[in-house]
Amino acid sequence: MVLAGQVLAGPALAANETIAVFTKNQTNPYFQAVRVGSETAAKSLGAKVIQYIPTKPDSIPEQLSQVEDVIVKKPDAILFIPVDYKALVPAVEKINAAGIPVTNITDRIAGGKLVAYVGADDYNIGLATARHLLKQMGGKGNVVILEGVKGSLTNTDRVRGFNDALKENSGVKLLASQPANYQRLNALQVMENLIQSFPQIDGVLAANDPMAVGALEALDGANRKALVVGINGSKEAVEMIKAGRLLASGDFNGFIQGCLGVEIAIRNLRKEQTPKEIILKPVVIEKSNFQAYEAPVEQRTCPKLSDMVTN
Amino acid sequence: MSQIRTAALPALARVPGVAIVLVALLVGFSLAGPRFLTPANIANILMQSTVLILLALPMTLIIMTEGLDLSMGAVLTLASIALAMTVVATGSPALGFLAGLAVGLGFGLANGALVALIGIPPFIATLGTLGIAQGLALAVTDGQSVVGIPPSIERVYSGTLFAVPIPIIIGAAAYALGHLLLYHTRFGAAVFALGGNREALRLAGASDRAMLIVVYAVGGLMAGFGALLMTARMNSAHPTAGIGLEFDAIAAVAVGGTSFERGNGWLFGTLLGVVAVGVLRNGLNLLAVPSSAQVACIGALVILALFIDALRSRP
Amino acid sequence: MSQMAETRPRLALSRDVLQAFYRLLAAALLCAALALASDAFLTLGNILNVLRQTALLFLMASGLTLVILTAGLDLSVGANIGLSACLAASVIQATGSAGLGVATGIGCGALIGICNGALVAWLRIPSFIATYGMMWMLTGVTYYYMAGETIHGFPPSFRQFGSGYLLGVPIPVYVMVLFLGIGTLFAQRTIWGQQIYALGANPEATRLSGVPVERRLLLVYTFSGAMAGLASLIILARINSAQGDIGEELTLPAIAAVLIGGTSLFGGSGSVSGTLIGALILTLVLNGMNLLQINASWQPLATGLIILLAVGIDTITRRTAP
Repeated sequence: MVLAGQVLAGPALAANETIAVFTKNQTNPYFQAVRVGSETAAKSLGAKVIQYIPTKPDSIPEQLSQVEDVIVKKPDAILFIPVDYKALVPAVEKINAAGIPVTNITDRIAGGKLVAYVGADDYNIGLATARHLLKQMGGKGNVVILEGVKGSLTNTDRVRGFNDALKENSGVKLLASQPANYQRLNALQVMENLIQSFPQIDGVLAANDPMAVGALEALDGANRKALVVGINGSKEAVEMIKAGRLLASGDFNGFIQGCLGVEIAIRNLRKEQTPKEIILKPVVIEKSNFQAYEAPVEQRTCPKLSDMVTN
Repeated sequence: MSQIRTAALPALARVPGVAIVLVALLVGFSLAGPRFLTPANIANILMQSTVLILLALPMTLIIMTEGLDLSMGAVLTLASIALAMTVVATGSPALGFLAGLAVGLGFGLANGALVALIGIPPFIATLGTLGIAQGLALAVTDGQSVVGIPPSIERVYSGTLFAVPIPIIIGAAAYALGHLLLYHTRFGAAVFALGGNREALRLAGASDRAMLIVVYAVGGLMAGFGALLMTARMNSAHPTAGIGLEFDAIAAVAVGGTSFERGNGWLFGTLLGVVAVGVLRNGLNLLAVPSSAQVACIGALVILALFIDALRSRP
Repeated sequence: MSQMAETRPRLALSRDVLQAFYRLLAAALLCAALALASDAFLTLGNILNVLRQTALLFLMASGLTLVILTAGLDLSVGANIGLSACLAASVIQATGSAGLGVATGIGCGALIGICNGALVAWLRIPSFIATYGMMWMLTGVTYYYMAGETIHGFPPSFRQFGSGYLLGVPIPVYVMVLFLGIGTLFAQRTIWGQQIYALGANPEATRLSGVPVERRLLLVYTFSGAMAGLASLIILARINSAQGDIGEELTLPAIAAVLIGGTSLFGGSGSVSGTLIGALILTLVLNGMNLLQINASWQPLATGLIILLAVGIDTITRRTAP
């Protein structure tokens, strides 16, 4: 994290800036958390956000069109999650050309000029979560991986983290690594089929929570037991950790990223010093620490930017 | 032959639902905000609609033959990947463009063959080729974007000719070509006949099967062309970029007044349909209407345009 | 004239029987190939899985079969499932009552079906476009209602519906058999069923013969909607949660199942039992790909090829048959 050693000012005068926030779709709770975070931060700083979401989920051409339309409206700043981190580079370049400052969160865009990037370290989250699972397994047994959407940056990094953790544990065997597109029903059916192929599965590494839950349902249905971990730290996952069904979930917090992204965008507009990059530390939510994550995002307050930067 | 074509004229005599809807949208959005009716914004709308126009024009012809092409979006996607990979591998934009066209044409011919020679219903034939094209796109790229494309391709979308953005010129040219083809050539007459009166076609000595194959081939070719614009716009190729475009094209054609049943088609109506959807989306974005409401509005527009037509056609 | 009317059904029957036979043969061959290729295929667990997954696909596609029999199409099946599931989930969570949830799901589905039917039957909007427009509107409502959240955690009594067993057989399979019976009886043995076939084959003649075409169309779309609602409940019970995009990718597989099963898009020919075989074939292909760990990127391609093969064989045999 780079910061030119300046103290961050407290909340400035409410200047009612407009921040346009772009997320990938309307149904993934992760992006809803980002949106809630962005609104919470904006409200506390006296600015407002407008949400832009493609009508067709994860549609690249539509997000491109929305960027073009939004540029006409000239918002004060843009907070951007690209549907695809490579294909949306021309969009960021257009925003740059229009002179609108843009902050990027979650999927690191592969080009263009940014005010800042806020993200989670998907690789280290995957690594830490997988290590937790393997430790609970005692370092031996059979494991399957449920991957997310092929080509998605978060997926690539998380699965890489999983695989590196596996390499550290020679007593553990990877039986299969199959994509379930980050979808619950998909994961359930894939897991069901895997259960048939392999009589002994001790651990499941799922690249996100819906898939982890789908895997759990499949295991329950087949009367089998295995330790399952996911990534997202979603409300549902936390409840299942509390109930002892899910072992752990890597915290991939959209709320915090939304908060920090908007705060950086606003403070940058107000000519305050802002960090160029914040990578959130990986946290594995499990039985000993889940209480902090139980509150729904609507009731949480944003972390202070100054706190995050001194890490 | 000319009698078949004049059957389309009564359709033009009434003011179609799409025109009413389009005018209403234009007026409404202009009144709702100052930035809608600016040249920059209108240019945006037209540019954003170009790929869809390229697909909807041949789709009109296909629907006039009582057919359908569900594979257009996937074929466009695969063609754009072929284009991108070829350009990156050979450094030649021309070769890339030809590769994209080849993929499009190949699938178009395949669709035509399945429909005309084997006799598989177009919905199913193109549903099958959709899966094949989509599968190939995913498998070849493993879900990743193809990048590293030289700037000459990007300029196809961002460049201008005589101060007019190139995509708009391409769209206008495609429309002019389509109009010429449909209303002033024997091929066009054959298309009308394929929908309403195949017997007449056979009696006139033309091969209805060959004509049908050509119709689908044109569709595939245009998908290949659209791939160039799509790739230029994203400066990359992505295996999910074109998903769902064919349904948007079909909706535009239907909203524009081309009927699924008889052989009457109205190319200009298709253009209006595409522009109407583009105007709606742009206007809603400018008004910052929440996304869920936008989704519902798109459905409402489609139903409304046809509802108006249905009311008008009742005795 | 009447003699032709008498002989035609018999000809159609023998051709349909032949096609059903080819399909069953294809399914059997597929099973044999998979059994050889993978040890895990013929295990009890896997067979039950396949049956359960087939049951779900069949339930979605069974109502759709009737719609396609009338030469129509319902593109809103997936969106219907989405909204019905989300509303049902809310009701179950709010009241704790599985019964109310079931009623909500089926009721919502049926209501959507009525809207579709009204657009097609009375406004004469082509079913492709009417249901396409409805799909967007329903999706918009679902997104608005769910607001990016999920609803999860349903009472075990409800979950049995989707993931439970009775006498060792998954419950959805019983539901599948039930509706196979109902659907087949309705289509083949009731006057209404016969009228629906006739409607698809020749709408004008059917209307002239006094059949209230609009009411039959309304019936067909309502039934299709209700079945989508039912399917949504089973999905809900299986995955134990609701999210706005639940139904998104389900429409095309449902349509594919109907078409692979031999029902013609031109209307007038096909059967609910054919849809069952179509659903089975599709499920077997996906199950096989999972078991053999074939890269999921190839799944759309495999599905596309199967569709072309199934219908291609159909079309060719239809031409050469007597």
